[in-house]
Amino acid sequence: MDLTLNVNGRPREFTAEPNELLVERLRDGLGLTGTKVGCDTGQCGSCVVRLDGRSAKSCLVLTVAAAGSEVTTIEGVATPGGELTGLQEALRQEHGTQCGFCTPGMVMALGELVENTADGDAPTEPEIREWLTGNLCRCTGYHGVVRGVQRACASARAAAPGTDAVCDAMADAVTAASGQEG
Amino acid sequence: MTAATGESVLQGQGVLGRPLDSREDPHLLRGEAKYVADIDLPGTAHMAILGSPVAHARILSIDTKAAEQLPGVLKVATAADFTDVMPLPCIWIPGGVESHFPPHPYGLPGARPVLTGDAVRHVGDPIAAVVAETPRQAAAALAAIDVEYEPLPVVTRADEALREGAPQLHEAVPGNLNAYWTCGDKDRTDAAIAAAEVTVELDLVNQRTINSPIEPRGAVGDYDPATGEYTLYASTQGPHNHRFLLAALVLGIPFNKLRVVAPTVGGSFGTKGYLYPDMPLVLLLSKALGRPVKWVDTRTGLMNSTVQGRDHRQHVTLAGTRDGRITAVRATSHANLGAYPSTIGPGVATALMGRSISGMYDIDAAFCEVYAAFTNTVPLGAQRGSGRAEAAFLMERLVDRYASEIGMDPAAVRRKNLVPKEKFPYDNGLGWTYDSGDYRLNFDRAIELSGYADMPARKTEARARGKRLGVGIASYVAVCGVGPSTRMSKEGMLGGTWESANIRVHPTGEVTVTVGSASTGQSHGTVFAQVAADELGIDPDTVQVYEGDTLKAPYGQGTYGSRSYSMAAPAIALTARKIKSKLVKAGAVFLGVPEEKVVYAGGKVYEEGNEENTKTFAELAMAMWYGWGLPPEIEPALDETTHFDPPDFNYPFGTHVAVVEIDELTGETEVVAYTAVDDAGNIGNPKVVLGQIEGSIVHGLGQALMEHAEYDENGLLLSSDLGHYALPRAFDAPFFSLDKTTTPSPHNPLGAKGAGEIATVPPAAAVVNAVVDALSDLGVIHIDMPVTPEKVWRRLRGEAR
Ligand code: FES
Ligand code: FES
Repeated sequence: MDLTLNVNGRPREFTAEPNELLVERLRDGLGLTGTKVGCDTGQCGSCVVRLDGRSAKSCLVLTVAAAGSEVTTIEGVATPGGELTGLQEALRQEHGTQCGFCTPGMVMALGELVENTADGDAPTEPEIREWLTGNLCRCTGYHGVVRGVQRACASARAAAPGTDAVCDAMADAVTAASGQEG
Repeated sequence: MTAATGESVLQGQGVLGRPLDSREDPHLLRGEAKYVADIDLPGTAHMAILGSPVAHARILSIDTKAAEQLPGVLKVATAADFTDVMPLPCIWIPGGVESHFPPHPYGLPGARPVLTGDAVRHVGDPIAAVVAETPRQAAAALAAIDVEYEPLPVVTRADEALREGAPQLHEAVPGNLNAYWTCGDKDRTDAAIAAAEVTVELDLVNQRTINSPIEPRGAVGDYDPATGEYTLYASTQGPHNHRFLLAALVLGIPFNKLRVVAPTVGGSFGTKGYLYPDMPLVLLLSKALGRPVKWVDTRTGLMNSTVQGRDHRQHVTLAGTRDGRITAVRATSHANLGAYPSTIGPGVATALMGRSISGMYDIDAAFCEVYAAFTNTVPLGAQRGSGRAEAAFLMERLVDRYASEIGMDPAAVRRKNLVPKEKFPYDNGLGWTYDSGDYRLNFDRAIELSGYADMPARKTEARARGKRLGVGIASYVAVCGVGPSTRMSKEGMLGGTWESANIRVHPTGEVTVTVGSASTGQSHGTVFAQVAADELGIDPDTVQVYEGDTLKAPYGQGTYGSRSYSMAAPAIALTARKIKSKLVKAGAVFLGVPEEKVVYAGGKVYEEGNEENTKTFAELAMAMWYGWGLPPEIEPALDETTHFDPPDFNYPFGTHVAVVEIDELTGETEVVAYTAVDDAGNIGNPKVVLGQIEGSIVHGLGQALMEHAEYDENGLLLSSDLGHYALPRAFDAPFFSLDKTTTPSPHNPLGAKGAGEIATVPPAAAVVNAVVDALSDLGVIHIDMPVTPEKVWRRLRGEAR
């Protein structure tokens, strides 16, 4: 089937098999490998993109069903080597990424949450955790990610201690060494 | 305390120990890092692997003809194609144990063939490989391979595999017993238990779990017929190790004809350090087809092929006095190795667990025996905290059981038995010599931070809300920093376990550090730059770190057992010291003063007492590049390498306190507070370590509350996708209360101890202790993991286990 997708603001025309998944088109067809595949059953969220503004798991969407849609992938959020968005910068400062495999999906899913709360009505910690239900991370335990969102949504930020504060608290720790490093 | 080198521990230029932002992060946040699945070499063909659909059967025939005819299919390979390829070896045979396997040509036990031809022994056992033009074509062709099986009886539990008449997996291993392994003093322990005022016993199941990195494994093989060189791109924790295993022990090709590259790796937690059939397959099939061959696993594939963790069934006993002094501990464990011994699985199931069982306690008599058996399940390997988590679980459950038996507070019992500070180095009687620690300081800090004293009031308050609140403590010692090579050889490890670093100073003053280690998400590029910059007194932004490519990096063993910061970073520090001492010698020439008068500080050399007479690091770098005027005993250029083999392991430790609330109606357990005070010695980057501790705790909570690799009686893995294998999600844990103590290790020049996985060791024990505490008035003395709502609900209704 011949169709057009608007990917990261650019119209892309191609022919797709009826059973092709959107994630296959993005990764294999268009070379946009920032979108990851972590599972076969729609549970991990590594493949999340924005589809007409809403976050969607691209492994659960047929390419033909997305025909005519606006698709934003991680490559459309910040260009390679380019400037990070506020959310990405906040995730960086809170070390919300370790191996980075879940990260593009997280950034895409959280982007919607942060945009929705741009009016200053910042999400609470339970709301952030609930929003992340569809994204699995095995490295961070989600804490750096949650702090990152809190930092990104500035008004929520004031209420919660960030990574640096936790590090500072830990830095005062007792040194049991005898005769060295204080 | 003095460092191994006799020098002061931290040269303290102020960069090390600071929570710098990770320099890898922007790259990851923009989604531009390349993982194996993102590698697209020109002309790539795609491989799929046919795994057995049944757990145990003889293979009567394999017919590949129909598959070969399918569109796009380039090759269908079976065991018959690889008769000249050696079996994948097991390189950690527990010390003193005889391997029953037919030997590998190099005298090692040959653990499994690249593809199995005679029989299948677990669901997922690889039988055939298809290479096709596209991944879909390769996957589709698998269904057209016709395999005729003669079903054989199945066994999935270690204890059952050892019974009379149990199904037999390997002709060479009668009775399925791979190893009977012991440590400690049996007679002394038995005598102490027989004479004890109090003994308590528990039967425990440390259930099988799946590590589940979010990136499934993958491999790309690229053979160059012009040069005869093979390149393997793989999701690996140890590219040099994989090169050694593949070149020397499987393919039998010259070492210098194989290059292994680890691109960005999406988490590992132990599983990506193993040798898997897909690795030789992509290389061999690339050679056969003259094209790059790529394989990327699926999640279900991973769950049926990548090593799984834990899986012990144990009978454990603790003896003590009426007033709370522990006198002996004894453990008998049945370890489930799965269908084949994985690369280092047998060592994980024995020594790492057995030698660790006494934890933080000063116990006079201890003994552990492990029966390691084969079953029709996926091979066993390391899982974050491997061995040590199983040990902490049994010991910490026993201590609570003992405390309740003698009517003493569990915190008080623990405190009474901690190894006292004066006893270090402390021989635990099971084979480990703890390097350093102040356990009481650590323990008291955790108890205080958790608000332990307020728990009775909190229990009453929770009860009024229909919740049962429970509190559980778990302390641990986690052997890390593998390790001293000679010592590891005595544990049965075939291979050196040192680590290396090279530092090259470029003429313009920038520095490149290359290490043999390889990151799977630990911010090596940031932390290792901090180590070199700190030592050399230069700006970390001028230091670049490379790793993960055997062509570019010095030999090293990789990232496992939380070893990179306590093994690779010391190698970097020692190398930087070589550079500095060379610069002091050369500085004497350039400054025109005797060597004793040369001071190296703050990234420059100067004449003692005359700081005007100075050269900066960049000036020295250029001068060394030119090499003009150097005496014959000083070589030009700055390029040094160190291979670091520590005198012994290091022993991080800590205390965790979990507070749970159980819903009386639903049986649901919620972790409402969690305190962790860990001691990983001197820390290089607290932000990175904080992230690892948080992730590790959540990983451990997963085992306690939801994770279970469950096999049915036919050996089918029921939890083979993420819909059936539960992983913790963002709402499953609250923010934690964290702190640390700092006891430097004397076994490396940075005073570092392992950190990456240590906080995975105690959470399962802490949570189960908390759950049992919450249910203790119902007579519950133990509950098996995972602590599901159903199990708890039944206990709330008075049902027995
Ligand atoms: S790849 Fe896992 S949800 Fe799409
Ligand atoms: S950072 Fe590794 S899975 Fe999230």
